[in-house]
Amino acid sequence: MNTLTVGEHTLELDKDGYLVDLNQWSTDVANALAAAEPLELTPAHWEILELLRQFYTEFQLSPATRPLIKYTALKLGAEKGNSLHLNKLFNGTPAKLAAKLAGLPRPTNCL
Amino acid sequence: MSKSLLVISRQAPWSGPGAREALDIVLAGGAFDLPIGLLFMDDGVFQLAPHQDAKALQQKDLSANLQALGLFGVDDVFACSHSLAERGLASPASAQPLNSAEISTLIDRYDQVMTL
Amino acid sequence: MSTLHVVSHSPFTDSRLASCLRVCASQDAILLCGDGAYGLHNPALQTRGVKVFVLAEDMQARDLPLPDWADSVDYPGFVQLSIDYDKVNTWL
Repeated sequence: MNTLTVGEHTLELDKDGYLVDLNQWSTDVANALAAAEPLELTPAHWEILELLRQFYTEFQLSPATRPLIKYTALKLGAEKGNSLHLNKLFNGTPAKLAAKLAGLPRPTNCL
Repeated sequence: MSKSLLVISRQAPWSGPGAREALDIVLAGGAFDLPIGLLFMDDGVFQLAPHQDAKALQQKDLSANLQALGLFGVDDVFACSHSLAERGLASPASAQPLNSAEISTLIDRYDQVMTL
Repeated sequence: MSTLHVVSHSPFTDSRLASCLRVCASQDAILLCGDGAYGLHNPALQTRGVKVFVLAEDMQARDLPLPDWADSVDYPGFVQLSIDYDKVNTWL
């Protein structure tokens, strides 16, 4: 079984490294998940992670890449809502990786 | 040019997987930029009710998902006006009502049609 | 474009055939199979004026007579129909 240790807690992960219990998500968990990639979260990353959590609250699903780009452009402007910016931040797979770090389920409409 | 697809969703939201499956097909198609349309018909129009509470049945909120259609590039969302009237429902905000003749033309316009 | 509508539910317990009849176009056809074959007993199908096909084995199994306004097809005939029409819409 995949696990992630954050402080004194051991969290269960699925085979792709997503949190099994999404309620366990916290900023510390996000940092630990990022460290495993490895990726260091900067304010530019956090901005997108917060946006993703907002997307999930609003629509109850994880966005595929295109809707993520659209939504980012809508909320943060076109200079951030484009594939170049998001790919650079999240190692070329923004929908999958950012959803993982933001404590969202794996996007189902995304190969 | 990809083939266009019309998905006709005619299952009530909480009766089984039909409504969810139809929406997943549409969202997946939209994510890949397929020209895709969605028509709610028969009990499918119940999916458009604005204040459904998924938590009451401990399920995922399909109506919240529906609001994401635009972001997935799906702008052609229709509802059968006959089915709405039959059920005493007003025209929904999120779908364009079509009468039977217009639906007939709609089906004709798409390359593929899938009814769930 | 023409559409072949495939209906496999009885019109007497289910709304698929009624809905199909409401929205099908004059150049379309309806293929009845499974319990959809009971649609042969539905007068609305006759008066609608679209082409009607029924899968022969489903009709025979249910002791349904073939009316003069419908044609029966076997499986190769079913395949041929799905080629003859531009698209197939199965009312799942």
